[in-house]
Amino acid sequence: MSDRPLIAVLTTRWESKTEEGWATRQVAGALACAADVHVITPQGVTPVQRTDSVFTVHEMATPSAAAAEIRRDLLIEAISETGSGVAGPLLPEFGRLLDRDLLDCWAGASDLISGLHPDMVVIAGHQLVGAIDAVDRVAPELPVVLLALGSDLDSLSFPHFDRVFDRAQAVLAITETERLAIIEHHGVADRVHRIGAPLAANPSALNEPNTWVGKTDYVFVITGAKTHADEEAVALARLVRLRFPENPVAISATDALSVWHQGRLGEGWPVERSSDLSRLMAWARVVVDLRPGPLFGRRGVDSLLYGTPIIVPGNSRAREHAELGGGGLWFDTPGELAWCVEAMLDPEVRAIFSAQGQAYAEAAYGSTDDFIQRVLIAAGDARTGDGVDGVGKAWRLDGKAGISGADASAASLSITA
Amino acid sequence: MGKPGLDPKEFLEHLKEEHQVLRWEPLPPNQPNPSSGGEQSRSGGSLDYLHKHWALPDSFRPEDAGGGPKGRLVSLFGRLTYRVLGRYFREERELLGHVVRISEALERRCDALTLRVQEMNLEMVRRQVAEAENQAILAAWLHAESPRTTGGVTSISSTLTQRNKAAAAALSAAAAKEGADRAR
Repeated sequence: MSDRPLIAVLTTRWESKTEEGWATRQVAGALACAADVHVITPQGVTPVQRTDSVFTVHEMATPSAAAAEIRRDLLIEAISETGSGVAGPLLPEFGRLLDRDLLDCWAGASDLISGLHPDMVVIAGHQLVGAIDAVDRVAPELPVVLLALGSDLDSLSFPHFDRVFDRAQAVLAITETERLAIIEHHGVADRVHRIGAPLAANPSALNEPNTWVGKTDYVFVITGAKTHADEEAVALARLVRLRFPENPVAISATDALSVWHQGRLGEGWPVERSSDLSRLMAWARVVVDLRPGPLFGRRGVDSLLYGTPIIVPGNSRAREHAELGGGGLWFDTPGELAWCVEAMLDPEVRAIFSAQGQAYAEAAYGSTDDFIQRVLIAAGDARTGDGVDGVGKAWRLDGKAGISGADASAASLSITA
Repeated sequence: MGKPGLDPKEFLEHLKEEHQVLRWEPLPPNQPNPSSGGEQSRSGGSLDYLHKHWALPDSFRPEDAGGGPKGRLVSLFGRLTYRVLGRYFREERELLGHVVRISEALERRCDALTLRVQEMNLEMVRRQVAEAENQAILAAWLHAESPRTTGGVTSISSTLTQRNKAAAAALSAAAAKEGADRAR
């Protein structure tokens, strides 16, 4: 039997398609460097225990209905819009409606946890009230690390989820925006750790440009919508190509890659492989991401790692990379988008943003070792208060200081801008 | 790094100042009032007169000569005149008939052309109004409206949410109603 600590990761979905899923897997992977990681998820058709790489996955086969999550999200949006329930207590009816069909799916987790006897539990998602209940039913003293996954600020500040934050000994945030939002609404500054994410530029992307656009100093626009969809992202992409007809503009839609130059259109297959996307970003003059990822705008970081500045919506999470990292610009109106692209087409301006952004991305997201260290330090901090000697210390690989809470500015691994 | 750094926030403010021009707003022309028909041909009375009087008499009427020896003489002269000049009078009558018909056709054509010019004028003005409105919408979109569909922060869930939003809204409403009923 392994003498390593055992950690149970409770997550609604064990997949890497979304930024949230990918981040969960990265955190679990970092923990696996120092512990045996068991993933517990309501997913699956039949209850099964299987091995996935270094993880042992327990599928309970009790998934919640997709409608339940949508109902919860809509209710949060609606209540936040009116302001009621955010400032004051939430009506019990709303609380019950929020949790409806989302608690029972975690019922089986209690038995698994009592059988595994984990040293720590990681809850992936601040909305997982059912997961916290499942832990508390069998091990109310067990240290809990919360990976907040706060893509939606309304949800992050929603009082209904306060008890999830209160129960956690450590809270992990990916971005500075998320960290500050958690501190603002839950006041747990000393327990919130900004861990970033492990990303790396693939040097092969710079070997050869995409054949549709070549090395033409093009503007690369990512819409995240169909080419002819009646959506504002499509209208913004059209604005860019009409405003800069002399400059090649590559527009990546979900159904095609369109390259416009001097009024002529070349159309290619949609960009589906990440290596193709990397090549397009690496050779572009600037990347305009009209729909950055909701958790931390991963494409923006990828672009900055290649030295390509970014332009993103002002209300997106990726703005942090442009603003704090100095890696690009953001816009609040379509007119500003046009000015930003115009400014970034100036080689001197572009060179400065490129250097700043690359330095930021490499420091904050470019090192897998630093990411692992930050996760382990946060987990170690969560363990130190439980009275079990040695475990928390064992997880500190080389004794480097963390970036937790008030010590963030002095920490050697700090990524706080 | 060698190169001087750029603060994106300051840079953006500088950009905004540079583009701080007077807001352009197109001036839409007034919506034209449709014509009441006052500009059409006004010769209706004269044309009516022509229709009624183009047919001149084709014979001498004895009652126009009066009575007595003088009347008989005038009557004789009148009949003689119509007999001698009868062919000329008939041709003149035909000629007048054609002149009246042509006048009628010309007036109709003039009215049709006037109407067509008015319609074209109206069409052009409407087009100008539509274009000006379109430009105004574009100007507002460019300078005032925030993008709605770009939110990472504001979007509460993934594409799935958007796709199923309508269905879920209905579901949510039904559940809320059910919850409220239970509470009662």
